Amino acid sequence: MSKNPSEMKAQIDNPENWVDEYGDFLYRYALARVKDPSIAEDLVQETFLAALKARRNFEGRSTARTWLIAILKHKIVDYIRKKVREQTSDKVESIFDAAAIDSGDTGFNGSGHWNNPPGKWAVNPTKLYEQKEFIDILYHCLGELPERQAKAFMMREIDGLSTDEICKALGISTTNSWVIVYRARILLRQCLEIKWLGTENYTAFKK
Amino acid sequence: MIHWMFNCKEVAKKVSLSMDAALPIHHRMMITIHLLMCKYCNRFRKQLMILRHAVRLEALSEDDPSPPGSLSKATRERIKKAVRESLP
Repeated sequence: MSKNPSEMKAQIDNPENWVDEYGDFLYRYALARVKDPSIAEDLVQETFLAALKARRNFEGRSTARTWLIAILKHKIVDYIRKKVREQTSDKVESIFDAAAIDSGDTGFNGSGHWNNPPGKWAVNPTKLYEQKEFIDILYHCLGELPERQAKAFMMREIDGLSTDEICKALGISTTNSWVIVYRARILLRQCLEIKWLGTENYTAFKK
Repeated sequence: MIHWMFNCKEVAKKVSLSMDAALPIHHRMMITIHLLMCKYCNRFRKQLMILRHAVRLEALSEDDPSPPGSLSKATRERIKKAVRESLP
């Protein structure tokens, strides 16, 4: 049942109640992604604090739950990015490093054909919630994306912001925003194909 | 020569753009024609939609017991305290 705006406002005005009402839900969501209870707790706390700061932006566009979970998703990706950076600094390069340098090339040859044609994904779009591994890898890949691309992509797809709003938030032009989101999609798709389908499948598709 | 057909690179860009903006009708038609003939670009389009739906997913299914867990009372109080302290 949806809540009426005044009820929602009362909720927003009483942030301590958020913790009782949404704390467990956010915690379970975070735990599913980061696996570590104490990190999940920290992310939940950060989410509430960020929500508190930004609560003027929350104008009942969505439910409080949806709004909080969107903030949490950003926090999860930020956490994964930090972790990925720590691991890759002394180990292997991120698979995006090469792509990030040559960001003009997005996987097509001179005549505009796919270099590595998209493989078949064995994922049922209507049952995505059952595909835990897929979602895990998706979050990992978001963490590996260059930060600005990840931000723009998430603002668009998670927060559902318009291009104008993204441009304002990131201080970029309209065309720039489209290009950044496009590159994010290309790299995410590529990352999922490599990490989720597995290298063997991926190589097979190259032929 | 009149540019009347998109190649895969152009279609990929336009497919992405079509998810963020309204495209003119002739571009939409050119995309449709290409997608009818090209299984790779078709896959690409479907996969971008999967990415969109996957990140928008709010939670695991309701009847899914995992992951279990809830905030302990102590943690809950700690978070409330942090919230209180950050209130203006």
